Amino acid sequence: MDQTTTQVLSILIILLALVVIAVLSRRRRRPFPLRPIPAYARIPDLVGESVESGRPLHLSLGSAGIGGESTVLAVASAELAYQVTQRAATGDTPPILTLTDSTALPLAQDTLRRAYQSRALGTSYRYSSARWFPYGSRSLAFAAAVGAMMDSDNVSANVLAGSYGPELALIMDASFRQRVPVIAVSDQLEGQAVAFALADAPLIGEEVFAAGSYLDGSSHQMSESAAIDLLRWLLVLAMLAGLVATIASQGG
Amino acid sequence: MRIRLWAALASALTVSVGFLTVLGLLIGDDLGALSDLARELYLREAANVLLEIVTITIALTVFIGILNLVLVHLGRLGGRQRGALYSLVLLASFGLVIGLYAFRPADSLVLLETVQLSVESALAALVLFALVYGAYRMMRQRVSWSGSLFVLVVLVMLAGALPFSGIEPLQDARDWLLDIPVSAGARGLLLGIALATLVTGLRVLVGIDRSYRE
Repeated sequence: MDQTTTQVLSILIILLALVVIAVLSRRRRRPFPLRPIPAYARIPDLVGESVESGRPLHLSLGSAGIGGESTVLAVASAELAYQVTQRAATGDTPPILTLTDSTALPLAQDTLRRAYQSRALGTSYRYSSARWFPYGSRSLAFAAAVGAMMDSDNVSANVLAGSYGPELALIMDASFRQRVPVIAVSDQLEGQAVAFALADAPLIGEEVFAAGSYLDGSSHQMSESAAIDLLRWLLVLAMLAGLVATIASQGG
Repeated sequence: MRIRLWAALASALTVSVGFLTVLGLLIGDDLGALSDLARELYLREAANVLLEIVTITIALTVFIGILNLVLVHLGRLGGRQRGALYSLVLLASFGLVIGLYAFRPADSLVLLETVQLSVESALAALVLFALVYGAYRMMRQRVSWSGSLFVLVVLVMLAGALPFSGIEPLQDARDWLLDIPVSAGARGLLLGIALATLVTGLRVLVGIDRSYRE
């Protein structure tokens, strides 16, 4: 595929996605049906346990950051952190949000601040709730630091939604040793495999982008999940059409 | 309807800067009238300037990160919280490295190579054990068809990688697994993430993300 075709296709896909989002955002009457995702169903219980036990929830963006390939993932993970923090804000111990890409630190602090403000608890927000640990993708130092933090801060549960490689196994191992439940997802295949195998409730692939739909339920958020599903089906149809066309051309 | 001024301004700024950058990066030289228009409006130059600003801002966030690290651990040390000893070690190491870098830069590299690299190598070696132990624990806690399949595939992959003769069927099975189901599954996952990234990115770009409303 030459460069011009790629550019035209990119513009067409962006326009198609824009149209789908615009059309679905206008639909207000009936909520979109969402398939059940056990990890999201478990979050209210984890928040409840955290508030009752007075132990903080640990949320993490991993190495997702702003300005690189994981920018949008960082925004989606921050939305999940927002939803969880908003529910846990009434507790005595604020959730802890960790990250290893310093570009995500302003996003993390803004997310926590907005979550507290949305509950009219702005004064309860503490800057130290968002914590940066040594830099780097697949940062083993980050995994070690998070493992130690789980013990020292006596966290009640982990929601690890962001970008992780195989080092996620070290964090999971620390969680198991402390009997702390884990919800995990990664945009990296190695991290996703570890999350699927070891997490109590894994999220898979793009499910992390649907946090707002499942935990907030506003029509804006639900339309996003519906748009992703619709585009996925369009892609599947396009791939099937391509396959049929290839078979037909070979047969002819 | 009440419109909040700052939220409206933030949305307007995001939408205009976002679209300017996307168009500047996307429109090449071979799109006829569209390319001419982009050239006349200096879209590419504007996109490059915006990207340079982003790069400078990203560099600044490293300082913000270090400041956050130091302040969090000073707070823990001051409050004598659990794990304050770790905070003390971290702050002492931080001061030592800064001091060494200021006065004897060569020694700071030695510190990096002898301490950090060796510790990270040891941690990397532990990843394997954490994974194997995790697989064992997964089968002990809940035996499901997906868990069993996962462990079976891991075993086939590991056994197929052994450099022994007489295990050609296992090696063939490993190659087939890598070429067909693993490759297809990985592509499926990545396509799903790419679509979700596109939709979420566009939501941010058109200013309907939550952060602009609050």
